Amino acid sequence: MKRTFDTGNAAITEGALWAGCRLFAGYPITPATEIAENMSRRLPQEGGFYLQAEDENAALHICNGGSLGGLKAMTATSGPGFILFADPFGWAVSSEIPVVIVNSQRVGPVSGITGAPGQGEFYLSRYLTHGGNYETIVLAPNSVQDAFRLTVRAFYLAERFRTPVIVLADQMVTDGWETLQTPESEAEAREMGLERVERRVNPGPVFYPASSDIDIPPVVLGHNTGAAASDWTPTDRGHDTEDVTWQHKHAWRLIHKILDHRDLIDEAQTWSVDDDPEVILVAYGTPSRVVQSAVEAGRAQGLKVGGIRPVSLWPFQDALFSRKAIYLTVELNWDGQLVREVRRAAAAGSEVHFWGRCGELPSVAELLDTVRQLQAGVALTRDAWRTEKW
Amino acid sequence: MAERVEILISGYGGQGVVRIGQILGQAAVNQGLYTTMLISHGTETRGGYVRSQVVISDGFIASPVVERPDFFLAFSREAHDKFKGLCGAQSVILHNPETFVADAAVPARYLPLPAEALAQDELGSPVYANVILLGALSGQLPLVSEASLLRGLEERLDARFHEANRRAFSLGRNFRI
Repeated sequence: MKRTFDTGNAAITEGALWAGCRLFAGYPITPATEIAENMSRRLPQEGGFYLQAEDENAALHICNGGSLGGLKAMTATSGPGFILFADPFGWAVSSEIPVVIVNSQRVGPVSGITGAPGQGEFYLSRYLTHGGNYETIVLAPNSVQDAFRLTVRAFYLAERFRTPVIVLADQMVTDGWETLQTPESEAEAREMGLERVERRVNPGPVFYPASSDIDIPPVVLGHNTGAAASDWTPTDRGHDTEDVTWQHKHAWRLIHKILDHRDLIDEAQTWSVDDDPEVILVAYGTPSRVVQSAVEAGRAQGLKVGGIRPVSLWPFQDALFSRKAIYLTVELNWDGQLVREVRRAAAAGSEVHFWGRCGELPSVAELLDTVRQLQAGVALTRDAWRTEKW
Repeated sequence: MAERVEILISGYGGQGVVRIGQILGQAAVNQGLYTTMLISHGTETRGGYVRSQVVISDGFIASPVVERPDFFLAFSREAHDKFKGLCGAQSVILHNPETFVADAAVPARYLPLPAEALAQDELGSPVYANVILLGALSGQLPLVSEASLLRGLEERLDARFHEANRRAFSLGRNFRI
């Protein structure tokens, strides 16, 4: 095992390469620039291709094209670039193109603040393109090591499900430095639980079956006759159609190939949730690490507190919230996004509250104070806004 | 219970806030310890401020947040003013007394070290001030060995400047406050 001190950006790069990524197209943006930088250095060493695109829209289209050409592909960005994926993301969903997309969330909206963490794309990652009729797979790392592992996982799921998979990170994961362990042999990789699926070629003639089956090889141009990937509704053989029955079959497949195999996707970490918690803290990404510390510290102080970290964000794991409790989501935004989904999923009789901030993590002390307030039935109040002198 | 040391480093961009954190983290990893480092350069970028939050432990680190720094390397008055509120009685603040003086209202122990003057006089450039402060920190931080830090320093700095930085480190480590 190789043990280094490195950033999440480096971890994502190495994870992608281990998973077999051989094409990266992107446009540099803080705090994901180093992924592009690392890829530009590492991919040629591995016989791959690096391309700086004219913008993020083009970048993901290039990745789609590369994937249709038989290469495992990835792009990486932050919020302002992520929004430009709306069009090519739809192509990847509809033509069932395996591709991995990394978004290191910073503070928004629009260009917002560059080098500070935010969590504003929880819902955008679910609906990154228009038109509905699809499900999305989104994974959220909370450390450098986890960024490595989940990037590998994203490629694995992208191949098996034939779909774009989003790694939804944040500035602290990608810019943060931490101990990183990477495998130096296949045996070590297995020991770490890493898996990869080699790219296979769909020989046709059926490319888009009206079933929820996974492990169907993707379309690889050059191995098939005619264009079997376009932005129109496909028949099962990949011909364009405006027939609503074909559309229904296609949409059903896009939705149910994911919903029928959630055992491969769903992942969560919990702390003290089976120990009669009154208040359960909920967070994904870097804030979940403060939640873990808060639960451990709270329990040591006799507080009945638990914690839930959804690792896979979409499809949303409603079952994590089946216990009646007081839930508090901890998020790096001011508008409350995760909280809305927890409110929808929480067991009847639960209370669901929101703790938010941009650019900074909460402290353990702040979270435990809030837990005590909630236990005492004290309503949470928020500063309208405040300025800090610097 | 795992031993956890929290180190806050802050100052302006260009003062080596990130580099010193990298050296510390590299040294900790070299020694088989766990370490995390968060870098902030966003919200306050327009003031040129940078902060590294380094946590070193012999066990898994959940929260990477420096909430109660054991050590605070304050490279500027502004950095000190911004984060002095985090410091408690256990905190040690390493600073250049020419940049700012100890605040009597802060319960921390101040370790003043004229790092820039020392760097200028001994090494011909104030640029080595940050490594002098790292050397001084090293004397207070038994969890990370001097040998690991020196190795980390070599791994994270250009070979052309290893000798000068080793001297800077030694100046800080041997400085009698």
